[in-house]
Amino acid sequence: MVDPAELQAKLKALSDSYAAQLPEKLSQIAHAWGQLPKDRWDDGGFQTLHRMVHSLTGSGKTFGFALLSDVARNLEEYLKQLAQAKTVPDEEQRKRIQVLLSELHQVTLHRDAAADDQSGLIAVAPAKQDIASTKRIFVVEDEPEQAEELKIQLGYFGYDVSVFNKLADFQQAMQATSDVVVLMDINFPENSRGGILATKEIQQKRDVPAPVVFLTSNVELDARLEAVRAGGIAYLSKPVNIGNLIDKLDSLTSTLPSAPYRVLIVDDSEALTTYYATVLEQAGMVVKAVNNPLHVMEPLLEFTPDLILLDIYMPECNGMELASVIRQLDAFVGIPIVFLSAESDLDKQLFAMGLGADDFLTKPIQPQHLISSVSSRIQRSLILRSFMVRDSLTGLLNHTAIKDQLDREVAQTKRRGMPLAFAMVDIDHFKKVNDTYGHPAGDRVIKSLSRMLKQRLRETDMVGRYGGEEFAVILSNTNGETALKVLDAIRKDFARLRHLAEGKEFSATFSCGIADVSFFGDSVKLCDAADKALYKAKHAGRNQVVLGHAPPVSGSDFV
Amino acid sequence: MVDKLVRILYVEDEPDIQTVARLALETLGGFTVEICSSGNEALQRVAGFQPQLILLDVMMPGMDGPTTLGKLRELPQFATTPVVFMTAKVQPSEVAGYKQIGAVDVIPKPFDPMTLSGQVQAIWEHCHG
Repeated sequence: MVDPAELQAKLKALSDSYAAQLPEKLSQIAHAWGQLPKDRWDDGGFQTLHRMVHSLTGSGKTFGFALLSDVARNLEEYLKQLAQAKTVPDEEQRKRIQVLLSELHQVTLHRDAAADDQSGLIAVAPAKQDIASTKRIFVVEDEPEQAEELKIQLGYFGYDVSVFNKLADFQQAMQATSDVVVLMDINFPENSRGGILATKEIQQKRDVPAPVVFLTSNVELDARLEAVRAGGIAYLSKPVNIGNLIDKLDSLTSTLPSAPYRVLIVDDSEALTTYYATVLEQAGMVVKAVNNPLHVMEPLLEFTPDLILLDIYMPECNGMELASVIRQLDAFVGIPIVFLSAESDLDKQLFAMGLGADDFLTKPIQPQHLISSVSSRIQRSLILRSFMVRDSLTGLLNHTAIKDQLDREVAQTKRRGMPLAFAMVDIDHFKKVNDTYGHPAGDRVIKSLSRMLKQRLRETDMVGRYGGEEFAVILSNTNGETALKVLDAIRKDFARLRHLAEGKEFSATFSCGIADVSFFGDSVKLCDAADKALYKAKHAGRNQVVLGHAPPVSGSDFV
Repeated sequence: MVDKLVRILYVEDEPDIQTVARLALETLGGFTVEICSSGNEALQRVAGFQPQLILLDVMMPGMDGPTTLGKLRELPQFATTPVVFMTAKVQPSEVAGYKQIGAVDVIPKPFDPMTLSGQVQAIWEHCHG
């Protein structure tokens, strides 16, 4: 009989190699399309194009790209209609083909979770959710200066902005563009509501409407109404409050990071842990297995699981004892613990729950059951945790959470000998901002700095709100000098950011102190050094970044 | 008593599909599969392989599936060998059309590699049932 795991692996390999070839295939299709003469019917060329698209229709789903098959089929049907007429596609038809081609590009990202009925295993990773990571913005504004200003301001938040001063140019560009947010002025020289009209036209040609934010000095209701009807998702009055705008863009473009779930399995049977690990890994989770319960502490701290699967009966230390121990650690009070056991005695199960277990799975466990109970537990606990560890104003990690994180990161980097830098950031004269422009304006400054830090740093870096106007940043795998450069660039851009309060514009600056982990033994000393560096920056006149020095050589640090 | 289906000839121009079909039919289905990349190649090799069932892709460059079927039927020993079309076009009218020109059934593409063998086996049993 065929080994299902082996078959899985082979199918997966085929699907991977298919996925790897897709970009090339699509570019060949685009090329064939681009080669078709616009002034006469080229039967051979058209057949070639048709065949290439047909081949995607017939293969996509087989390799786990069902959506690709569907979109290719639409395009194929459309091409077939044209081929029957044997007339050169007109402007309208060309546009339609462009749209379908760009959809084709998008759906290459959607890989399905294949179902493997024979083995009962859940095959391959779940569809990769390439969540809207759109950072591209089209600004459509007939006044070059206003457009440039928007481009500069948005650029500080890491957005990639293209400016169009003419509606026609914008419409042209939209034909070949899918993942973009549009900022649209309403009033254009040719028509006082030209922006709305152009948007309507664009939206009609798209299956998925492009997100459009209208910008206008017009406050009439009927203009707003029309904007909504044209698919506008927001309507901001000029001069644009960049904070409000970024709020809108954030809600469109950022979602919670969807890092894979992390599961720690503790079971003395190697065969079983391997099996569970395989099942969960196939569902896209990251798994670490520990076979000796007495060796659980290090992986627990280092691997930082989202959930622990614990076998009840193990030599040396049973699962219930282990659960009690784990629950005594502050950082793991909230982690879901699920017991695995052949135990079907309800009393024993309840006893285990009393010791801190969240759930009880009875062996043998159906793979599907294991996956769903693990992932639903993790999901709920992550939501709960986000309330506990996030700051409500900025959505950043709160003081406790960023400190915990720092402890963990420092321990990890020390063990692995990797670089790491820690930075403290403090907004200069923040009290003055609050006093002069009011607390809501102060809050907006805090939010804009938090966003800028989030957007400009890497996803692996961690940003926390340390206190009122103070932020903490952990830059993993980064040394002090590099961190200095990165934060100094952010400092310069932040200072150029224009904040708006009751019609008045102002700017704000921050000071920053950085410490490099290689000079300090633990997170407390590291934190302290960053704080001292921040103090130096403030003292030297603010609006600057200072890299803390290595502590003076003393015997104890070099034991 | 129905003969056990063992030997399948699969005519398909795309290397990707060839590989996955071979995996599906051989590894999963336990069949012996011969793959040809074109109608011409199929006509040359069919006598040597002696398939019990033939899977034919419809849309191939050069000689397409229906033409290949026609030529196969001209060879006396393959006049009645069951032929199954593989195609992305599965409108009922089209399926009827393919059956009319002599196909025993149509397997829609894209196919699911996990169930392809089962489909083929079912068709085999059906046309001997």
